[in-house]
Amino acid sequence: MNTTASHTVVSAAALALALGAALAISSAPLTAQAADSEKCFGVALQGKNDCAAGPGTTCAGTSKIDYQGNAWKLVPKGTCEQTASPTSPTGFGQLEAFEEVKNS
Amino acid sequence: MNSQAEFVAALLDPERDCPADLKTWNGSDPAARFAVYRNNVLSSLIDALAASFPVVQQLVGETFFRAMAAVYVRHSPPRTRILADYGADFPAFIQGFAPAASLPYLADVARLELLRIRAYHAADAAPLDADALATALAAPERLASLLLRLQPALGLLDSAFAVVSLWAAHQGALTLAEVDLDQAQCALVLRNGLEVEVLGIRSGDAVLIQALLQGRPLGAATQLALACDPAFDLGACLAHLLRAGAITHCAYDTQRPLP
Repeated sequence: MNTTASHTVVSAAALALALGAALAISSAPLTAQAADSEKCFGVALQGKNDCAAGPGTTCAGTSKIDYQGNAWKLVPKGTCEQTASPTSPTGFGQLEAFEEVKNS
Repeated sequence: MNSQAEFVAALLDPERDCPADLKTWNGSDPAARFAVYRNNVLSSLIDALAASFPVVQQLVGETFFRAMAAVYVRHSPPRTRILADYGADFPAFIQGFAPAASLPYLADVARLELLRIRAYHAADAAPLDADALATALAAPERLASLLLRLQPALGLLDSAFAVVSLWAAHQGALTLAEVDLDQAQCALVLRNGLEVEVLGIRSGDAVLIQALLQGRPLGAATQLALACDPAFDLGACLAHLLRAGAITHCAYDTQRPLP
């Protein structure tokens, strides 16, 4: 006999109620999901199997040598500029902090 | 250093000279040819990271991302030939990457993207037959000792930042300005068929799922969840997992005492 069950604060009735509710809510869509999709082998995650993003392939830019330098100074320029930041003076200005990093 | 180790070292370090004894078939400059090869190795690995971490790239912009990724690639070249697995410690690298320190949430966004890739490639697991749980329901006195196993694709991320909203904003589901970054969020990653889903869940749900993953029975797991989140709703949480087909096995924990 499981001795720990006697210490359980959560009652069997509460568990049964929760599981019963969960079964009732979720019973319908379970089989529908399986039916409307099928396995498709050989289809990679988007961008993983074509030349442009194909890791390991060299068909892109065979003569580029622009990543050789390891000295770089950059500010991130992405969507972070539109991202709210309570610590930033503008409320959005993530780029400010990066400039500080760059100048230090 | 043997010639192979020398070649590899020169491949990852642009400061090093072209390995000695390299020959070209057509008499062209081996150093120039090696530079092209070195660049292709680096850029293809950066491309692999960009494909795996698209939201991180959007957050910092392509130029910053590629420069950051180049530093990572030189420090952590792939250890296996499976490039889908490449970048497992990229989030940890981002966390310690000083130029990205002003985006403290960036590492967690990377962790979420990593969980999505893992989910995508995880083994298939058929959802538990609903009858099995209906049978368990018929013996309510044993429910507390019920063990539930969850799909291998499942991933959990407990973040101090609004990672789920941030991620959703980059899927067009929200605008970035609406996102309150400092709101802690728990992310649940599931795979439903071939579709990887990211869901924001309550802290109680996360505690329950974590406890189930650790092999704790339903009663103890529920107790932990309630201790963390008094408003925890076991029914809703289980319904969620069931609907996603995330519960794959159930059994009773008969002999093992709880830790």
